[in-house]
Amino acid sequence: MDATKKLRIYFTGVGGQGSLTATALLARTALHAGVDVVAGEVHGMAQRGGVVESVLLLGGWRSPKLEPGEADLMLGFEPLETLRGLPYLRKGGQVFSSSDAMPPVSVSMGKAQYPSLDDIKARVEKVASQVHFLPCRELGLKAGAMQAGNTVLLAAVCASGVLPFGVDVFEESLRLYLPAKLLDVNLRALEYGRSFFE
Amino acid sequence: MSKNPLLEGKKGERHLLLGNEAIVRGALEAGVHVVTCYPGTPSSEVPDTFRRIGGTGDRYYLQYSVNEKVAMEVACGAALAGGKALVTMKHVGLNVAADPLFTTAYTGLPGGLVVLSADDPGFHSSQNEQDNRNYARAASLPCFEPCSAQEAKEMTKEAFRVARELEQPVLLRTTTRVNHMRGAVSFDDLPAEKEKVIDFKRNPLRFVPVPAVAKVRHKALEENMAKAMAIAEKSPFTIEHVPAANPKAGIIVSGVSRNYVSDALETLGAKEKVCVLELGMTWPLPEGRIRSFLEKCDKVLVVEENDPLLENGVRVVCQKAGLATAISGKGGVLTIQGEYSTPLLIAALQDFLGIKGENAAPSCAEDLPKRPPNLCAGCSHRAVFYAARQTFGDDAIYSSDIGCYTLGMLPPLQCADFLFCMGSSISGGSGFAMMAKRQVVAFIGDSTFFHSGMTGLANAVFNRMNVIVVILDNGTTAMTGHQPNPGMMQEQLGDLCQHLDIESIVRGMGVTQVKKAKSFNLKSVMNAMQEFAKLDGVRVLICEEPCALYARRALHKGGERYATVSQQNEDTKRCFDTLACPAFCLRDGAYAVDSELCTGCGVCLQVAPKSFKLVQRG
Repeated sequence: MDATKKLRIYFTGVGGQGSLTATALLARTALHAGVDVVAGEVHGMAQRGGVVESVLLLGGWRSPKLEPGEADLMLGFEPLETLRGLPYLRKGGQVFSSSDAMPPVSVSMGKAQYPSLDDIKARVEKVASQVHFLPCRELGLKAGAMQAGNTVLLAAVCASGVLPFGVDVFEESLRLYLPAKLLDVNLRALEYGRSFFE
Repeated sequence: MSKNPLLEGKKGERHLLLGNEAIVRGALEAGVHVVTCYPGTPSSEVPDTFRRIGGTGDRYYLQYSVNEKVAMEVACGAALAGGKALVTMKHVGLNVAADPLFTTAYTGLPGGLVVLSADDPGFHSSQNEQDNRNYARAASLPCFEPCSAQEAKEMTKEAFRVARELEQPVLLRTTTRVNHMRGAVSFDDLPAEKEKVIDFKRNPLRFVPVPAVAKVRHKALEENMAKAMAIAEKSPFTIEHVPAANPKAGIIVSGVSRNYVSDALETLGAKEKVCVLELGMTWPLPEGRIRSFLEKCDKVLVVEENDPLLENGVRVVCQKAGLATAISGKGGVLTIQGEYSTPLLIAALQDFLGIKGENAAPSCAEDLPKRPPNLCAGCSHRAVFYAARQTFGDDAIYSSDIGCYTLGMLPPLQCADFLFCMGSSISGGSGFAMMAKRQVVAFIGDSTFFHSGMTGLANAVFNRMNVIVVILDNGTTAMTGHQPNPGMMQEQLGDLCQHLDIESIVRGMGVTQVKKAKSFNLKSVMNAMQEFAKLDGVRVLICEEPCALYARRALHKGGERYATVSQQNEDTKRCFDTLACPAFCLRDGAYAVDSELCTGCGVCLQVAPKSFKLVQRG
């Protein structure tokens, strides 16, 4: 493990999905692994059904916010938001995203078109060096709760080796920081995520 | 990990904390006795954390006050009685609280008062991006500006130390990114015993600022600020980096921009090419430290978000010292608007240091389906706005206020034509009606009514104004995260707080035209509005229905039923187009309701009775 590896991660999702909780959990895991960590979130008005962004900076970066082109890694909790957040990724960065769509009101009302998953993938692949779309909601439900889909995504990222710590540290972190009643579901979800890189 | 590291964490432990949680830990380490607040993003997690970890404990007393001025006065009273007091608010809240603050800066507060002003450059959740460091200068308050979670803790503690030593109120000024950043925080121990309370010594010649007293106290304030400057000169939060090569270019920087400067220099590989003076205690300015820094440099760039306050201060030091150092600051990419960032600082530093480099043109956001914030499915405000639209249409002018219901401005509801600030809907609305001779409907939430709507209502009655006031009583402070307010039901408030009945207050103020309706009962709301439309004077309609999120999370109510679409026709379309509930959707071109989002409020059934029906969940 290289605790000094500098990495900037951009998280994006929809209000209510739990992407801020996921960011905080990964930040705790980093601290637990002895990695310098700064995370940034925006709370408040934007959360009423809107886009929720957060950032996680590892290895000594200080700025709690990212601008377009700065992220080495993007975690998308919803495919349209992954596409919207794409400008934040530097050329050659990596993307891990849920493939389960949550259409915004304009789409559900028939006033706008939701891009196809193939289209989203193609556009993401133009910028990113590695792209992983995972059926997070489906796997989360299979593990026992929709929100556990976030754990699937985080476990996959940890297992991929892109972070300065691995999925075993993430498992320790789940055991340390999750309430007991949520642990089993999340450990099952972790296995689904881990299995993508085994 | 202990269940409650903020209360139980020991010296040497490191925990990942939100900036606002770090402020809580800092206040606890300082031995805070009293915390008062009015919630507002990005400050709310400070009181909410104090509440979560046990606001009724022996260690401290926490209060959600009805507005910032009251919160400030309660905290000032507590600090005068010798306790260590913390008052928290967002930047615009300090406008409300400014009056007592300016005067207590004269009298001083022996126990120690720290004022948290959480500013919001970049307008994440605010109507302006005012820079409250101006208040430090205007009221003469020592000011601290942390840039990390660790500093948020340390500076809170130091702010208390200075507040008690000088008996002066101290400003802890944060910005959104600092309040809502997470970082590792190393703990010190909490005080083993309760901090000493300073005995109040009766002294009207100090604490009753009649002109003769105030005049003397102004001098004392000036003397205390000189002492504060001496503290700033020696502050451990003044950090100077001078590379071995002694470069002649320097940067003076404060606040969150310290992070951007650091990351930009790291990215440019330019850490050895420039001297940096980072300021943490930013008022009074450590003029000696700044002067000696300027003496080392031929040119200095001052970096700060918002107003050029530090820049102007540095220019004054430079001029007083007769130095030839060239000072630059605002200009080019470094504007007074919005937030700074690492790429922005990279551009500014390339320019300042003459480093060549390419600035990648930021890729444009594509034209994707937007996801704007919206009133929730099952939000009672939507029902009332629908009723108002149906009743008044474009004939009325809608005076809005601050809360979730400001989102009523969006089509198709369009129930907000103007807004000034918290509590302005009734007073601003009645002023508008007086001038324009038009029907004005003022919307105000329960918490905002208690905050400063009541005074506007008293004024409207007193001056016989014309306005329809609709109080959107959803029983909580919804926007900022369901904090208590006097309108909250007694069962939710518990033993420490007393419920106040809005209708009794309205009637007690002399309003005779008062109606009450359940927000989800469209007929009842519309009948009341139609009747009021024919009358003059101050008319108050109180619409009651709990916030949908609060009902589900705290009251465990709602969601037993959900709506389904029972016919596909013009009527259904009309309901979709005029109510625009987020639970509405199209499935394969057919109108449908998302049963997961629907709370079963039944408003769509009243808009188009034949198009929907409610079914039991489960």
